[in-house]
Amino acid sequence: MNQRDLELLSSYLDGQLTPSDSARLETRLNSDGQLASTLDDLRAARTLLRQLPKRRAPRNFTLTRKMVGLNPPLPRAYPAFRFATVVATLLFFFTFGVNTFAPQLVQVSTFGMGGAAATEAPAFAQQAPVMEAAATEAPATEVPLESASSLAPLATAMPPAEDSARVAETPMTKIGEAGNAGGLDQPQVANEPPRPAPLIPSVWQTAFAVVALVGVSLMAILRRSSANRWK
Amino acid sequence: MNEQALITDAQSGNLDAFNTLVLHYQDSVFNTALRILGDEDQAADASQEAFISAFKSISSFRGGSFKAWLMRTVTNACYDELRRQKRRPTTPLEPDTDDGDEMDSPKWLADPNMTPAQQAEADEVEHAIQHCLDHLPLDFKTVVVMADIQGMDYTEVAAAIRVPLGTIKSRLARARLRLRECLQGFAELLPASYRLDEGLAQ
Repeated sequence: MNQRDLELLSSYLDGQLTPSDSARLETRLNSDGQLASTLDDLRAARTLLRQLPKRRAPRNFTLTRKMVGLNPPLPRAYPAFRFATVVATLLFFFTFGVNTFAPQLVQVSTFGMGGAAATEAPAFAQQAPVMEAAATEAPATEVPLESASSLAPLATAMPPAEDSARVAETPMTKIGEAGNAGGLDQPQVANEPPRPAPLIPSVWQTAFAVVALVGVSLMAILRRSSANRWK
Repeated sequence: MNEQALITDAQSGNLDAFNTLVLHYQDSVFNTALRILGDEDQAADASQEAFISAFKSISSFRGGSFKAWLMRTVTNACYDELRRQKRRPTTPLEPDTDDGDEMDSPKWLADPNMTPAQQAEADEVEHAIQHCLDHLPLDFKTVVVMADIQGMDYTEVAAAIRVPLGTIKSRLARARLRLRECLQGFAELLPASYRLDEGLAQ
């Protein structure tokens, strides 16, 4: 039995031959006993296979959403909330960063700019006689604390310029003495510069924080309610 | 059941529609997996994997026979399972029967040349046929399971396993011939009307 005849018999069994091929094969089957016997064998094998008992599935193979990794459908507003939350969070950190670090950067850059400080020195020197005058009056009259404290940052801000520093030290010493005379701890005040006002109003920082927190909360609520509705 | 409507709904992500299709086809899918793998547990796992995979890729179904498309998915799942078995073979030395007892002469040890006493151990025609199926090359087994056990026509089988029609005819003929030769060893177990002895004697 060659391969070609075997394929012909198998196809004939399944009705896959053309009418002319079928007629030709049937003629051969009538005269060739072995061919007919092989056809019977193939038919018997096919019948056995077709009569194999059909097993029922041992369980239902229906899928759950978890199996296929589906997430619950979220409301259409959800992406807007998410966007607003992300933007508010970024803005909050930006304003926080600006208000925290920008004044320090300004101070550092001012310290590093010796030349610039020196150019400002004449203007500062012009103020010195005024301050000196105020200091000379101090023992007699009380030196206003505001003037002392307002001068303090100037004294600390001008160290590179020797002239200006010398000029600045003079009134400060005197002011300090005046302060001591008045019973105040004046040197401590002079060492602590006043806290500068934030560059971005803190109300904005608070607003961004509130929007971010509200956004996160709303997103959590929406997700939970969607999941509950889905169940 | 409006199959096309269910397929369209499933393609748009409707899991309930897909589950209706699952319930309709799960027996066919399971039987195909069972005959290819020869083990109920593995067949159940492969069927489940096939349905998950089918849902995830249903958007790629472009019409034609859904059953053929599903059969391709399940045969791929079976091939994956067989590859996994090859990497980590776990065949027990003495497999258990349904009652939990050890088989003295498990069907997977039987061969067409075993003695009549051994043949008597294979007490079900189904086991004999499954044994013969298990000894077919995988390509032949897949074709014969789809064509003769699932009753799919040649075109559907060709679409399911993506081979030319001529290859299907050739594989099916050779698979049937090998099955005939294998079943010769179980002749006494077969129903009288299906005995192959006379044909084989020639």
